[in-house]
Order: sequence, then C-alpha cells, then structure tokens
Amino acid sequence: MRLTHRRSQHRGRPAAVVATGAVAALVLAGCATAGSDDDADSEGGGDGPVSLRYQSLAFQEPTIQASQEIVDAWNADNPDVQVEYVQGSWDSVQDQLVTQFQGGTAPDVIQYESAAMTQFAEQGYLADLSGSLSEEVTSAVPEGVLDAVTVDDQVIAAPTLLQSYVVFANRGLLEEAGVEVPEGETWSWDEFQAAAAATTGGDTFGVGWGLAEPTATMLSLGMNFDATYFEGTGEDVTIDVGEEELALPERIHAMAYDDRSLDPVSITQSGSDVMTGFLKGKYAMTVQGSYQAQALTESAPADLDWVAMPLLEADSAAQAANPQTLSVAAESPHVEEAAAFIDYFMQADNLAKVAEGDWLIPASSDAAEVVSTDTEGANGWSTILAGGQYLTKAPFQSATNYPQWKDQIATPAFQRYLADEIDADQLATELTEGWESVSGG
Amino acid sequence: MSVGTVTTRARVGQYAALLAYVAFLGFPLLWLVATAFKSTQEIALGASGFLPEAPTLQNFGDAIRRADLVEAGWNSLRVAVASTILTTALAMPAAYGLARFKTFLRPVTLGWVLVSQVFPTILIIVPLFLILKQFDLVNNLVGLTIVYVVFTLPFALWMLIGFVANIPRELEEAAAVDGAGRLRILVSIVFPLLRPGVVATALFAFIAAWNEFLFALVLIQDPAKVTLPLTLSRFVGAEGQVQLGALAAASLLATIPSLIFFGLIQGRLTSGLLSGAVKG
Repeated sequence: MRLTHRRSQHRGRPAAVVATGAVAALVLAGCATAGSDDDADSEGGGDGPVSLRYQSLAFQEPTIQASQEIVDAWNADNPDVQVEYVQGSWDSVQDQLVTQFQGGTAPDVIQYESAAMTQFAEQGYLADLSGSLSEEVTSAVPEGVLDAVTVDDQVIAAPTLLQSYVVFANRGLLEEAGVEVPEGETWSWDEFQAAAAATTGGDTFGVGWGLAEPTATMLSLGMNFDATYFEGTGEDVTIDVGEEELALPERIHAMAYDDRSLDPVSITQSGSDVMTGFLKGKYAMTVQGSYQAQALTESAPADLDWVAMPLLEADSAAQAANPQTLSVAAESPHVEEAAAFIDYFMQADNLAKVAEGDWLIPASSDAAEVVSTDTEGANGWSTILAGGQYLTKAPFQSATNYPQWKDQIATPAFQRYLADEIDADQLATELTEGWESVSGG
Repeated sequence: MSVGTVTTRARVGQYAALLAYVAFLGFPLLWLVATAFKSTQEIALGASGFLPEAPTLQNFGDAIRRADLVEAGWNSLRVAVASTILTTALAMPAAYGLARFKTFLRPVTLGWVLVSQVFPTILIIVPLFLILKQFDLVNNLVGLTIVYVVFTLPFALWMLIGFVANIPRELEEAAAVDGAGRLRILVSIVFPLLRPGVVATALFAFIAAWNEFLFALVLIQDPAKVTLPLTLSRFVGAEGQVQLGALAAASLLATIPSLIFFGLIQGRLTSGLLSGAVKG
C-alpha cells in the first residue's frame, strides 16, 4: 500500500522538476527582458538626441523634486540633449564611482563633493570645465570656493552647495542665564565660551557638540584660529601642528573638562544624536552643520524658541569650503553638452531651489540673493547665508594623503585627546608622526 | 531534592534562556515596527517610550512616494527567485557527487569553496565589474543573477554536502539491489530525503540575494532596474542624516516578501525524516 503511494508520488516528481525548471526559465527570461532594455536607452548615439545620465545625490524630498524639475525644464528646452535623472545615495557613492570610473561606465554628470572629486581628478577621470561654464556662473562664485574645485589649473567641477558650522541656541535658556543673543555677523569665541559657562547648571550643559568624527570639524573651524596644518599640494605636503592648530582642540577640551560647560558625553556622539538633547532642553547651545536648521524647523517642540547665532570668530571667521559639486566624466562622449547642462543647473533660480531644499549655502552669490529673498532670512537662513562669504579652500584639500591620514591617524588621535586620554603635546606628536607615516616621509 | 524538581527548574531555565534569546533576536524587528509608526518629531525628540505616542501612517506614505518600492521589489523578487532556483539546481547534483565519489576533485573543490569565502567583496568588485562589462552583463538583472549564483553557490554546496553525507548509503544500496538505476535512486530516494537540506539551501540563497547591496550598487545603474536594498539606501544622506521614519516604514514593507517566502517553505524545513530508516 505504502509502496504504491510512494510510486505515485514519484511519478509526479518529474513533472515537479519540469515545472521548477520552467519557473526558472521564465524568471530568467523576465530578467533578460529587463536587461535588454539597455540597448535601447544607453547611448543615444546615431541620429537621435544626445542622451546624458545625471546621477543626483539629492536627499531631502524638496531637493529631489527641485532637481527633477530642473531636469524636466532642461529636457523641454533642449530636445536634442536629453538628460536622464538617476538617483544615487551619499552613503555608497564613493564605492560606486571608484568602480564606475575604472570600468568606464560613470554617469555623464556626477554630483559629489570637492574633496573626493579632487582625488578622482588627479587620476584623470574628470573633464576640465574651464571655459565651458559661462562667465555669469563663474563670476558669481567666490574665488575661495572656486579654488576648492580647481586642480592643476583645471576646473574639475562646478561648486553647488556648501555647509558651515553654526551655533544653534535655545533662546529661553540664554535669557534665563542673562545672556543676550548677539547681533552682528560674527561672535567671538571668548563670548561663546562665556555664554556656555553662564548657561551651565543643574541638568543643563551650555553646549552639546557631536564630535564622534572630529577631524573635519577641527580642520575646518580651526581656520578661525589660522590653523593650516598642511603646506604644499598633491604628494608633496608637509604638516605643522603648532599653537594655531592646537587652539581649537584645547578650547573644546577646556570647556569639557575645566569649566564643564560642554557635555563630555556629547563629544562621543553624532551631531544628530546631540540634536535630540538640544530639542529636549538639555543643552543651551549646540554646534552643528548649518543644514540642521531644517531638523529644527520641522521637529522642534512648539515651546522651543531656537535661534542661529552669528558665526564664530577668533582671528577670522573662516571655515573650509568643501562644496558639493557637479562634474563631467572625462570618458563621457558628450562633455560639451554635459557642461552646458551643469551651467543651466547653476543658474541662480535653479541653484536657489536646490539650496532651499537642502538648507545649504548656494555657492553662487546670485543664488544666495534669491534664497535670501525667498526665505526672508527666517529660520536661521540669514546666519546660514552669511557664512558663505567666509568659506574658502583649506590646505588639507590639496593633500593627496589627507583621507588616509584622517581615517587612520587624525580621527583616533583627536578622539583620544577629547576623551582626556592624551595631552595636547601627545596629540601634536601623533598627528605629525602619523602624517609622516602615511605620506611615506 | 527530587528529580522532578530539578527537571522543572531546568525546564524553566531553558525557557527563560530561550525567551531571552528570542527577545534579543526580535527586538530590532519590534523597534523597526515601532519606529515606522512614529512621527518625525517624536523620532527627533528621542524615544521616551518604546511604543509610538501617536501612531501615524505618514512614514509609509513618504516611503511609498519617495521610493518606487513596487518596481524595486519586483526586480529583487525576480533576481532572488532566479538565483535561488539556479543555485539549488546546481548545488544538488554537485553536492551529491562530492559527497559520494571520493576523487581528486573533492579536496580541490572543497578547498576552492573555502578560499572563495576568504576574499572580501570589495577586493574583487572591480575586476568582476570589468569581466561582466565585457559580456554586456553590467546594468542587467541577468548579470546580477549570475553574480549571486556564483557567490552563493560555494556555501550552498558546503551546506548540501553535509545533508547528502547524512543520508545512509545503505538506502541507495537497497534500492540498487531492487534493480533501481542511478537516476532512479537519485530521483526516488536521495532527492526526497534531501528536501530539508534543499529547503535550507534555498532559504539561504533567497535571503542572500534579497538583502545583497554592494554588487547591485555597482552593477545596476538604470533606475528601472534597482533592487530594494538600493532603494532603501536613498533614505540615508550625507553627514549621518537618516530619514529614520520613512526608512523604517520602507524596510518593514521590504521584509514582507521574504517573510512570506520563509512562511511558505519553512514547514518543509523538517528534520528527522531518516529516523529509524536504517537499523543501527
């Protein structure tokens, strides 16, 4: 009986095998159909319109929408040059571009940031845009920002958006401590530290500062104290960690461990983590990227009266300009058309729309004016936009081995110093000897 | 102290340990569900409680509007099902051959399986990309499926060899004595007994393909062909910005097909089929 039953099962099995095979064949055929679409849309060669791929890293929804509107408007006005919008991600773009450049399949128009694109430019992957961008566009970009996208006298990208470091403050906590919100474009570090000390008490710290990844902050805001760290360009770069370079780390250290006006726990957290504490009233002030004004506008409780303070200033209010960029792949068969699209993207109205979506500073002064008019300077925009004039190229942006030094040497060294594990002299030694080891000196 | 008391205590201890283990495994999923229903403001303010204070479907709306989850899910499903079927179909006969026939190929193949697991993906991604480009398999779901099969096969093979080795050789010998040929033995004796192993292998292959990110990121460029993990990465921005609510909602929706797949075939993941098959 059982044998008979099994035999009948076995007779059915070949049919099951055939059915499984058929499913596999169908699924693969489905994949293959999707794959064959490539042939139709990849090149846009021949007599048809030129087809460009534009990989955007737009993240905020209004920015994505603005970017797509710009592409749609371009496509409507330029039937012979059609741009395809491809959505990329900040989180993975580095790996993606490394592979695509080596494989020869990079998008025609690439959004990224100047520090990373400088490295790609040095390997010859980016087209020279000198002369391709209109005078109207380039003249509206500050020289220091344009320097950040210039490699060996070639403009390797159009700078689009920038961020600066901004102090956001809880107006209620400042007033309770008798600290007046300063007027004017800049605010001195001494006053900032005094305000932090005045607002510290009970469960409240004067400042929460997310410095889990401290290197970029130290090198950028360090420019307030004339810190340069590096001299030279490319492979031929030397480091000097002196009084100016140590000024910012020492001030932060003193705030955390001497007058305890800066929460030492926040130093180990990310900016977003610290923002949670600020929203809950744990910190009277927090130092953040300017884009965090958006989170404050959208998520701050109704009873939190927040304000963006004037830019911090010591010897100057300078900060490093590491703009987001638009570049053209050198291997693109349509460099000229791709550059024309970037020039269109950089028009004041277009760039302003994207900047407003991301709450970042437009690299073009014309676009900044449009943003200023649109927003009327509300929700921190006046401070954010004022920061644009102080952003300039920093020496570290010309150092080929900077990314390696940052990850392997500087970040752990700054972390240990800010955790009070080593002193300032040891920090200077580690940063200097670490540079010599990664640069082969 | 009676034996019964000890047994009861041991049982209570076992269940407590099991509960703790399940809680450990399940907490991330519960956190994901809770976050998906929290408002942006509640997430920004930090969780005062685990459960959402005012549950909202806003995140699901945002997730569906921003990311084309249906198209990406369909692409993921096709690639995952195809690579699961191919991996299993290739691994079954190969595992049988390697388990049953002791030739020089066996140590060579097993060595290759081990070596293939040693290299980090990031090391091989560029040469792999260049090879696939030569065959016009970049930006192509067939190319992605082939890559998944190639990289899943070694471990699938390793898993199945263990299952085949556990099938008593005496069963095949008995069938041979009854006049069954090699093919008949495979189809009627070996493959049915191998079912739990095949199910486990298929689950492994499906989940590996469903969750894979790096190969898809590098190989797929056309927005119409992206898979779910690529779509989900859009909710992560620069400087550590994450749209947590929408990401949680989209991730929750993305887990549904794999949960259904697991639910459908986990009933077949039974063991003990061979209990008593051969007298010890």
